[in-house]
Amino acid sequence: MMDGFTLTTVEEMEAATQRLLETGARVGADSWQVRVKQQTPHCKFGEEGMCCRICSMGPCRITKKAPKGICGCDVHGIVGRNFLRFVAGGAATHSDHGREICHTLSNVAPDGNYKVKDPEKLIRIAKEWDVETEGRDIYELAHEMAEMALLEYGKPHGVSRWLSRAPKHTQEIWKREEIEPRAIDREVSTAMHMTHMGNSSKAEALIRQSLRSGMSDGWGGSMCGTEFSDVMFGTPHEVETEANLGVMSEENVNIVVHGHDPSLSEMIVEYSEHPDMIAYAKEMGAKGITVSGVCCTSNEVAMRRGIPMAGNFLQQENVVLTGACEAIVVDVQCIFPALGPLSKCFHTKFITTSPIAQMPDSEFIRFNSATAGENAKQIVRAAIENFKNRKPELVHIPQMKQKAFVGYSVEEIARKLDGVTNSQVDERGTMKPLIDCVRSGVLRGAVAMVGCNNPKVRPDYAHIELMKKLLANDIILVVSGCSAQAAAKAGLMDKRAKEFCGAGLKRVCELADIPPVLHMGSCVDISRMVVLASRIAIDSGWNISQIPLVGCAPEWMSEKAVSIGNYVVATGIDTYLGVEPYASGSEKVDGLLKGGIRDWVEAAYTVEHDIEKLGDMMIARIEEKRAALGI
Amino acid sequence: MLLFDTVFNGNDKVYTLTEEAVDKAIAQHGGDKAVGFPDTAYGLPCYNAVTGTKIKSLKDIKDAMGVVKSLMTRERRIGDAFMSGVATALCAEFIEALKYIDGATPYAEPCYGHLADAIIRELGVPLVTGDIPGVAVILGSAPTAQEGADLVKSYQEQGILVTLVGGIIDQVAEVGMKTGANVRVIPLGKDVTSVIHVVSVALRAALIFGNIRPGDAANLMKYTFERVPAFVNAFRPLDDVIVACGAGAIALGFPVVTNDMDYADGVKVPKSLIRLEDVSKFNAASLEARDIKIKITHIDIPVSYASAFEGEIIRRGDMQVEFDGSRVDCFELVQIKESAEIEDHKIELIGPDIDGFEVGSKHSIGFVVEVGGKKMQPDFESVIERKFHTYINGGEGIMHTGQRDMIRIRISKNAYNAGFRARHLGEILYAKVKNDYEAVVDRCQVKIYTDPEDCKKLRHGLVSNVFEKRDERLLSLTDESVDVYYSCILCQAFSPSHVCVVTPERLGLCGAVSWLDAKATNELEPEGACQIITKEGVIDEKLGAYESVNTAVKKYSMGALEKVTLYSIMQDPMTSCGCFECICGIEPLSNGVAIANREYAGATPLGMTFSEMASMTGGGVQTPGFMGHGKHFISSKKFMAAEGGVERIVWMPKELKGFVAERLNATAKEMYGIDNFTDMIGDETIAEDPETLLTFLQEKGHPALKMDPLM
Repeated sequence: MMDGFTLTTVEEMEAATQRLLETGARVGADSWQVRVKQQTPHCKFGEEGMCCRICSMGPCRITKKAPKGICGCDVHGIVGRNFLRFVAGGAATHSDHGREICHTLSNVAPDGNYKVKDPEKLIRIAKEWDVETEGRDIYELAHEMAEMALLEYGKPHGVSRWLSRAPKHTQEIWKREEIEPRAIDREVSTAMHMTHMGNSSKAEALIRQSLRSGMSDGWGGSMCGTEFSDVMFGTPHEVETEANLGVMSEENVNIVVHGHDPSLSEMIVEYSEHPDMIAYAKEMGAKGITVSGVCCTSNEVAMRRGIPMAGNFLQQENVVLTGACEAIVVDVQCIFPALGPLSKCFHTKFITTSPIAQMPDSEFIRFNSATAGENAKQIVRAAIENFKNRKPELVHIPQMKQKAFVGYSVEEIARKLDGVTNSQVDERGTMKPLIDCVRSGVLRGAVAMVGCNNPKVRPDYAHIELMKKLLANDIILVVSGCSAQAAAKAGLMDKRAKEFCGAGLKRVCELADIPPVLHMGSCVDISRMVVLASRIAIDSGWNISQIPLVGCAPEWMSEKAVSIGNYVVATGIDTYLGVEPYASGSEKVDGLLKGGIRDWVEAAYTVEHDIEKLGDMMIARIEEKRAALGI
Repeated sequence: MLLFDTVFNGNDKVYTLTEEAVDKAIAQHGGDKAVGFPDTAYGLPCYNAVTGTKIKSLKDIKDAMGVVKSLMTRERRIGDAFMSGVATALCAEFIEALKYIDGATPYAEPCYGHLADAIIRELGVPLVTGDIPGVAVILGSAPTAQEGADLVKSYQEQGILVTLVGGIIDQVAEVGMKTGANVRVIPLGKDVTSVIHVVSVALRAALIFGNIRPGDAANLMKYTFERVPAFVNAFRPLDDVIVACGAGAIALGFPVVTNDMDYADGVKVPKSLIRLEDVSKFNAASLEARDIKIKITHIDIPVSYASAFEGEIIRRGDMQVEFDGSRVDCFELVQIKESAEIEDHKIELIGPDIDGFEVGSKHSIGFVVEVGGKKMQPDFESVIERKFHTYINGGEGIMHTGQRDMIRIRISKNAYNAGFRARHLGEILYAKVKNDYEAVVDRCQVKIYTDPEDCKKLRHGLVSNVFEKRDERLLSLTDESVDVYYSCILCQAFSPSHVCVVTPERLGLCGAVSWLDAKATNELEPEGACQIITKEGVIDEKLGAYESVNTAVKKYSMGALEKVTLYSIMQDPMTSCGCFECICGIEPLSNGVAIANREYAGATPLGMTFSEMASMTGGGVQTPGFMGHGKHFISSKKFMAAEGGVERIVWMPKELKGFVAERLNATAKEMYGIDNFTDMIGDETIAEDPETLLTFLQEKGHPALKMDPLM
């Protein structure tokens, strides 16, 4: 009794893309598929991380004949420095996103563009930070918390406030290994400092700082981003939505939001639902307004408002290729500069909004929290007015979409777990029901799958195939970022996807009323996952590294992804990658990442290009952890 | 030991035991020896349901052991543990089946062992209406007999059907608790394998009501998980055989609650395996785990009140007093009144209370229940009144039979001693009417008459007037005289693709929903089980084919059914859920139909028992030539009207014939001018085979013989 439900296959998605590329060819558009060919083969020195261009004596490249750079730095130092800088880039990016959120929080007002939507969460965090909450005005409290959070970025003394959320054992490891992040910005500065010409060239030191930089992201800036976004925009709860290009509507004005910071997209959604705007759209010949998203901005508004997801990272050009996109509005991160020239081939307006992400061939409408409402109105209006400029002969929206249930914040997961407790025996508000499922073997374990798309891996294929394999083995998935959108597009976030699970996970889905793949949010929200792991550890008495849980980023591509990997591993969670970081040039660095750091933080990386094998390795690791626990 | 390993061990043990038992039986009886359970059309129902194969002989069991072995995979996954649980259950069924060889009766009072198909079909209606909100399986011995009995009683008071396996059977006997199907406490047997008899009920329910194809194990387990509200309470000490059986229960969706805190590493599984030391909390924990909601109607009476007591019988010796409408003047009546004339919850006793009556004496009684409300209609009077039987019977120690002015009520000595008096009958009626009909009844008051003179005067005056008027109204209610019919999907909780079309002359096949009931249900819950079908788009009047009926059927069966006719059993006959009172099937030799009722266990000239005929249809499937229906439909002018009507009836069990004779004769007289038509119909005392039946029909000159061929 499958009710006619089937998954969307990668082949079907590829066929849809192929059809869109034909439109692209007609208008002379460029595409990532073409550019990949032009860029292949990639520079081997770059790929292995052994090209140093940190000072102007070089660039130096390490070969058998030239085993050292001009300064005498060996391959381990070069690879290690490059790796650390890569991590610092990612940490800076996530943390700066978090900083923007904190700034927005400083501007919340009862009658302002941004309000406190989840006061309870604010109070909860304030209590964690020992801030007096009794009898306080919630906005006054919000402003104080914003100030404190912003100080986290540059405070001269102490370590991140968020660390206290971790189990004692994990905190002890961090202290012992000297990877507790201090001020968030400092860990990026230190990284840049250490990697400057004439500083560290010792692999251990560079990797240790890589972990600490990563920690400043996940247990610092990202956590600020997630937690205070929840305070302002609401903590996600289960909500139904849809995914894939079929969510765009031919008869409506289509506005696509893309990037990562929810401050802009929240406002766009707000105004596009305004009756005046809908009336205006009708006046302009459309039936209404459809806002959909790409990348993590999409994840943010899907999680909180059920706004449909048009696609993930490597689908961003497809959105424009439909010929039905009136405006693609972007904030920060993962935005192809290619969108500018591409939009010129269509009627599409490419609107950039952040000083952080300025691009040629875009219309720049500078967005800030004080003028957010006006900015959003202006953008929605521009999109509506652009509807009439559509070229009907170019319009083709692939009619492909799947239903998805999303919104599984840690709070929502706890609520779902409460739903399967028994009031005669169980306490509520804990992770214990999940732990019982794992302990009894009904669930074998969990995989946190995250990350991007990367043309080095057949896009979405690794995400979807790995998920299917894990589900069939009674392993539950928590996902975020573009991995989450791959799952949603395939149909794995439809509750009927339980049919693709082993008997145990299927039963869990039925009893807890969840899909087998739980969408936890954007890439910043991987901070939710480490909190979840901490809660499980605390409630089970296991160390995080003992939990039958692994991380996985099969199609990762960005610096942020490596920063994430580092804090996930530093938290004690083994992490499996489908793409090599630029570190294979040094057996020392590579050896540390894939093994040596296990002595420090009880976890390490595994890299495997064969997706089938990658899945088997994760399952084996989970079973190994079970056996070690005697369960 | 890990939970899964415990399951695997238990399964292995049971498998070995079964193998030995089967080999021994073959050595003793030979492989061709027939095996099976009595009164079921499903062979060894569990094995049949899971694999689609009917076992007939010991040799078949031997072969089946190989199939069972194939379920016993040993990867440490819950799927493997589930199937090992199922394998354990199937082995248990084989062991139990061996006990029944040669027509043996292995179970003696109070134990039931195997339960007949008819019992399951009877359970259908109360299960869907929530009268039986759940099924408890209690296994082992409670810490003390009293705790065990208290637990059983707690379920019984909620209307839950309780089945008992093992030590608990002696425990409830020890404290003197009455057991039996009529009070919904069914001891199955002392061996743990006897638990299979309740599993068999759950699986047959899937086949009967759910139209699950035998062998479709995945959908079978989906059905029991989603639709059979059963759960298990297993007392410590557990062992690996019990745990293996438990895995089977959990596989079917039935949670297990146990007070064994340690066995199998003490692991728990949310909503599935719950460990709880305190037995007094088992009830609440079990209901919560299985998502069973109990409808609570608080009734201010000194005895327990639950639907489980409906079947309770009060024998003369246990009786304090009796009211008997067959001897003295008795009646029950619902009357519509202006709300202003009613004082809500006023209960008035007019005449002496039962304190003054001699023990064992017989008296008059009459109650007038006056109801008012903006949405109340005169047509609902009889609908509410027909519920009195069920309402009054729910009191522990109170028995009610009959209706209108032919009622009999007995109040037991125990109930009397607990303080039950005449006024409490009023309390029951008030509470139930207000609860069940709150959408139409705003106010309700009850007058109870016990003075023989009052009863006599009212019965022959007011009451008989009302009844006469109602009868006239009922007679005028024909399929032609009304504009709307009703769809009824009350059963869909159990039989997801079945839809009844209820017309004035064709009540629901369960016998429980008349056109007036459906109308009232629609009024009570406009979005509920009964929806209006406007009579539109005649396709064929004779067949009773309407476009609007087809549209409704398609809609409410979620597309499973395209069309039905109201009056034909050959062309697109109406489907059944499985809880029908009767089933008719064509008897080709005599060109007519034979009808069997659920209570009839013997053979029919079709060569099939009721159970076997019933297994041909049900679950929302159309089977031309077979149709389930209510008893009262037999005398309807619309009974297979498209094929010529009641004239086609050639055979019925004697008891059923007696039940319908008066009205059926009247119908035959009116339609065909035949006197005493029932006498022309065969029964089991006349013929159980078609040839003898034909001879009898020829002797009687039965009209069916001369009619157009049915096929």
